[in-house]
Amino acid sequence: MSTAHVLLGLLAGGPRHGYDLKRAHDERLPQAKPLAYGQVYATLGRLERDGFVEPSAHEQDGGPERTAYTLTHSGRDRLAQWLTEIEPPAPYVTSTLFAKVVVALLAADADRARDYLAAQRAAHMARLRELTAVKSAPGATVGDVVAADYAIGHLDADLRWLQTTLARVADLQKEVTA
Amino acid sequence: MRPATLFRLSTAGTRTDTLRTVLTGTSAALAGTVMLAAVTVAAVQGGEPLEQPDGTAWLAPGAEHYTSPLLREPGLRPGVIFGLLLLTLPVLALAGQCIRLGAPARDRRLAAIRLAGATPGQAVLIAVAETIVASILGSAAGLGIYLGLRRILHEPGPGGSLRLPTDVFPDPVPLVAALLAVPVLAGLIGLIMMRGVAVTPLGVIRRQRGRGPRPWPGLAIAVGILLFNVPVWLSDRMVLSGYVFGALMLAGAALVMVGVVVGTGWISYTAGWLLHRFGRGPVTLLAGRRMMADPWNGSRTLGALLGATVIGGAAMGYHALFVTQGRAEDRFSVLIGMPPDPEHAAFYVNATRLVLIAVGAGVAVSAAGMLVALAESVVSRRRTYAALTAAGTPGRTLAGTLLWQTLAPLVPALGLAVVSGLVLVRSLYHEVTVGGGTTETCTDPAADPDTCARTVQTDPVVTLPVPVPWEQLMLLCGGTVLTMLVVAGIGMLVLRGSTDLEEIRAV
Amino acid sequence: MTTPLLTATGITKDYGATPALRGVDVRVTEGEIVAVTGPSGCGKSTLLHCLSGILRADRGSVIFRDQDIGSWSEAARSRLRRTEFGVLFQFGQMVPELTAAENVGLPLLLAGSGRREARQAALDWLDRFGVADVADQMPGAMSGGQQQRCAVARAMVTRPRVLFADEPTGALDQLNGEQVMQAIVRTVREEGTSVVLVTHEAPVAAYADREIVLRDGAVDPTGLGVAAP
Ligand SMILES: Nc1ncnc2c1ncn2[C@@H]1O[C@H](COP(=O)(O)OP(=O)(O)OP(=O)(O)O)[C@@H](O)[C@H]1O
Ligand SMILES: [Mg+2]
Repeated sequence: MSTAHVLLGLLAGGPRHGYDLKRAHDERLPQAKPLAYGQVYATLGRLERDGFVEPSAHEQDGGPERTAYTLTHSGRDRLAQWLTEIEPPAPYVTSTLFAKVVVALLAADADRARDYLAAQRAAHMARLRELTAVKSAPGATVGDVVAADYAIGHLDADLRWLQTTLARVADLQKEVTA
Repeated sequence: MRPATLFRLSTAGTRTDTLRTVLTGTSAALAGTVMLAAVTVAAVQGGEPLEQPDGTAWLAPGAEHYTSPLLREPGLRPGVIFGLLLLTLPVLALAGQCIRLGAPARDRRLAAIRLAGATPGQAVLIAVAETIVASILGSAAGLGIYLGLRRILHEPGPGGSLRLPTDVFPDPVPLVAALLAVPVLAGLIGLIMMRGVAVTPLGVIRRQRGRGPRPWPGLAIAVGILLFNVPVWLSDRMVLSGYVFGALMLAGAALVMVGVVVGTGWISYTAGWLLHRFGRGPVTLLAGRRMMADPWNGSRTLGALLGATVIGGAAMGYHALFVTQGRAEDRFSVLIGMPPDPEHAAFYVNATRLVLIAVGAGVAVSAAGMLVALAESVVSRRRTYAALTAAGTPGRTLAGTLLWQTLAPLVPALGLAVVSGLVLVRSLYHEVTVGGGTTETCTDPAADPDTCARTVQTDPVVTLPVPVPWEQLMLLCGGTVLTMLVVAGIGMLVLRGSTDLEEIRAV
Repeated sequence: MTTPLLTATGITKDYGATPALRGVDVRVTEGEIVAVTGPSGCGKSTLLHCLSGILRADRGSVIFRDQDIGSWSEAARSRLRRTEFGVLFQFGQMVPELTAAENVGLPLLLAGSGRREARQAALDWLDRFGVADVADQMPGAMSGGQQQRCAVARAMVTRPRVLFADEPTGALDQLNGEQVMQAIVRTVREEGTSVVLVTHEAPVAAYADREIVLRDGAVDPTGLGVAAP
């Protein structure tokens, strides 16, 4: 995911300080990995270099913490372009889960791979329950629910994959070690 | 659609379909046999008085060797034919009602045929064709039974006397007509029954009318009774042939039967509404709602039974009439100092007793149809029953529901049927008068008969009211209700099988 | 607060020659939601039927509140199911000729309540599941989701101690299924009802506090539900 574009989006509503941006990011994208300050400033630096944002007119001096940024014209264009761009659907199959199973079969044996899958399934289920609790909690906001739904859908997909892969471990091993 | 395709599609099916086809065929065979018997009687000639040139009257030859006056006397034969045809009506109703036995498998098959591209008309045609094919087979079987019975029952007595007309063969035209009548009528009834059934590609929908049924069929009953009276009224004023007379009465009786059967829809709906409105427990709620949801269920499943009981009611009316007639004649004989003739009255009473036996058989046959219908309806609702059982509904409650929904429409409809049948006859005769004739004789037996002084002697008059045969009516109603209780009991066994939780799996 | 409410030990059940369950142990505590998952044909439904007293196990015991319900008569288990237990299936459990309110009130009528009382309670429960507007409609005129919500209302109307649900969202789309699950969970938490929830969908199982995975009629301790080839 592109943090730069999210920041552009957050600035679309008006100028903000770096600190503000981090807060808004974490609030709007609940359950996402929280942004570090360092990353916010580094990203803002790059955006300023490329001419997509600029420091607000009034507060030119002071350290980076004190500077509010505002969206430039080309920044606005860039954001609009990003919003219309289609994300390529799964261009590469890259998943640590998948890689681990293959490596386990290469480096050890089918039992090792199966043990890993079993443990991973338990962990996935635990996380699934957590997320379900989050969205079923009495005060859950729509944002919480949408975020949890997103993760639940992915975990569910992982779980289905785990389940079918378990049944195919033996065949996969034959292929990998052939 | 080629006939071969139609044949193939309409005969494809499962065990329940086979059962329905067999039932349709059996009733067609039964109706066919009875109709053939009727046309045989129609083929009997002879017994009419023939004026001889010398002024004496001879009886036309041909029928003198029959032992029963029912066959010997030309005035009675139309009555026999009429009675036989009347008996076929409930059997025909049974053949027709088989088409609506709600076999879920057949419904699915019809839907699948629609999904494969058949038009709604073709789907109905396939359903009706099944009935027609089964009836044709049944008719053929009926012919076989008829020919077999002729052989077996042909027992000439001393001097060539016969109990049954096994020596005459029907004319070809009435014979073919009798054989075709069953498939044609069953097919027609089937078509009427399929009205309001939409065969969609997604399933068979029995369309519910928005409002419940109305009591208009009551009018049909009234008109039927009037029609039944017309020939008697007319024959006082003009000469009517026995066949026109019989046909009008048959039409009247048929109309009454249709009225009773169709009226059962209203009875069922109203009874359901009353149960739902005033009942308290879950049993009346379930049964009442079910009756309101499908009020025609009663008409469909009870049709043949009600037809048979209308005839039963009428036969009882005649029976009471003949018994009273006999009593009146006896009394008259006593008054004029003649010995009573027990044979004469007993003859008619026996004839009506035969009809009553036939009605009993009709009730039994239609009970079989009812049983199949009830079993089908339970089986097609097995998912609901199984789910209710799973939720802890006692078997008692479900059995009670079944009993209510069987008996609540039956008892009033039965009453209506029997009473209509009885009124049919009582509207014609409610009292019997014997005697009252006058004889003129010469006071002086020796005088010239043309000019002598005369005395007019008036015979005594015996007028007896025809009693309402309460006991027999009770017997008929009680017997029928009892039969239905047995049927419902067997239905409950089916129900027990259908509350098995396995059924939850069945889609 | 971990009093066992329902304890099943060594449940064994064969269908003729087919073994469906071979010695399953289950413990359900007060107010707990337990999911039963596993691949198709592993015996989930059979287990649910044994636990709820719909089927009698061949061997093993089902103890509910210190009583072995396996030894009870059919009538007694029937009574138990309509008072202490609620049952919920995938679909098709509504009586098609009764309105939603009549369907929901039916268990109360069976228990001897009056019509008016039953209707009032039914309306309250329909309202709790957000389907008060279909109270006077027949099931045939309702969507699958509405029907299922009515079915939950009917299962809960007697305030059962344990709710047995077999794939309650199996016939619904995701959003409807989720709403039904949310409604069930919210209500059983308020009422303190325990739930045995049979499902093969992970997101549905995630509503439970705990998961039991069956494989070939036995509890699979690895939680995988797949045999080692
Ligand atoms: N009436 C029956 N007769 C014979 N075998 C049966 C019967 N009912 C169930 N079985 C068998 O028992 C086993 C367990 O069935 P059960 O319905 O409990 O599985 P399930 O886990 O609920 O499956 P699903 O997820 O498909 O609903 C299966 O192998 C099934 O074929
Ligand atoms: Mg199942």
